[in-house]
Amino acid sequence: MPFMKGREPIRRSLKYLNAGKLVLKERVRVFSVSYNTYGNHHAGARDFVFWNIPQIQFRNPDVQVVTIKNITPSPFVRCFFEDGRDMIIDIDSKSCDEIIEHLTNVVGKTREELVAAARLAESKDNPANFGYRCERHCICEIPGQVYCPGTVPLPKEIRGKFKFAQK
Amino acid sequence: MSARGLVLLGQCMPCIKQNASKIRIRRMELDKNLNMYFKKDTFFFAHDPQKVCKTGDIVLIRELPERLTRLITHKVEKVVYPLGDITDPISGKKVVVGKYREDIEMANQLFGKSEKAFDYDKAPARGRLEGTKDFTHGETYIKYHEDGKDQPFAV
Repeated sequence: MPFMKGREPIRRSLKYLNAGKLVLKERVRVFSVSYNTYGNHHAGARDFVFWNIPQIQFRNPDVQVVTIKNITPSPFVRCFFEDGRDMIIDIDSKSCDEIIEHLTNVVGKTREELVAAARLAESKDNPANFGYRCERHCICEIPGQVYCPGTVPLPKEIRGKFKFAQK
Repeated sequence: MSARGLVLLGQCMPCIKQNASKIRIRRMELDKNLNMYFKKDTFFFAHDPQKVCKTGDIVLIRELPERLTRLITHKVEKVVYPLGDITDPISGKKVVVGKYREDIEMANQLFGKSEKAFDYDKAPARGRLEGTKDFTHGETYIKYHEDGKDQPFAV
């Protein structure tokens, strides 16, 4: 891990960021967390922001993830939807894991949806394609096509320089 | 550059335009080398004819289907947290950074309230001192020319 300086640099590794469990539903547009920098009942919220906010933003690049500090006595998560309505989730005195679990149940995509989305992403490639990043590199590898002239030269009747030179 | 969402949460900034407020949207942008998120500010002008949002309020803005002018692309949907007068969404009570106003009043009753103390019930809505002592409604600039006239927004 290069440049692994700072507090808990594991949070900055791609493996950790991709391992985020919370993928927000499509209708969620803004995900805001409000917490205080002091107070024991905010400790879970502070841990959640420290460890999980980068994961959430990484897995949901189109959602605006906002943190607001020191406005209210109790911490909460506020999600804003497309139609303007919002959902408030109280995270007072909850631990970091409880918060993530509750959020995945409420506003996160279910496991089946994530698996289906991953499957869709994989099967977009057409197996009949050839070229860079495909299984077959050249058309000469496909059965039924002209063989590779790099291994054995093509017969003179097909080659252009002989066909047009005789005329 | 990045995907612009329909609905955004931002803070109101000083703005001289009429009918519009300048809103600062804080996004997180991933630095590819460090794999770290840094805050990045984007400014939008939101249509606000009644001037509901004042400088410092946190508001929810929505993208307009057709932009009003070249610059005004959004409209203010609602003021989520007005500055100085925040209502705790969970309990519904008025809050002053981590303390309920009722608790502060109870403590004041026990200890005795100072005469100069700020009275939340009797204070008028925000904007009373605009022009005399509150200069957050306009953008400030460094004074470059002294022409004898009063320049309240010059720093």
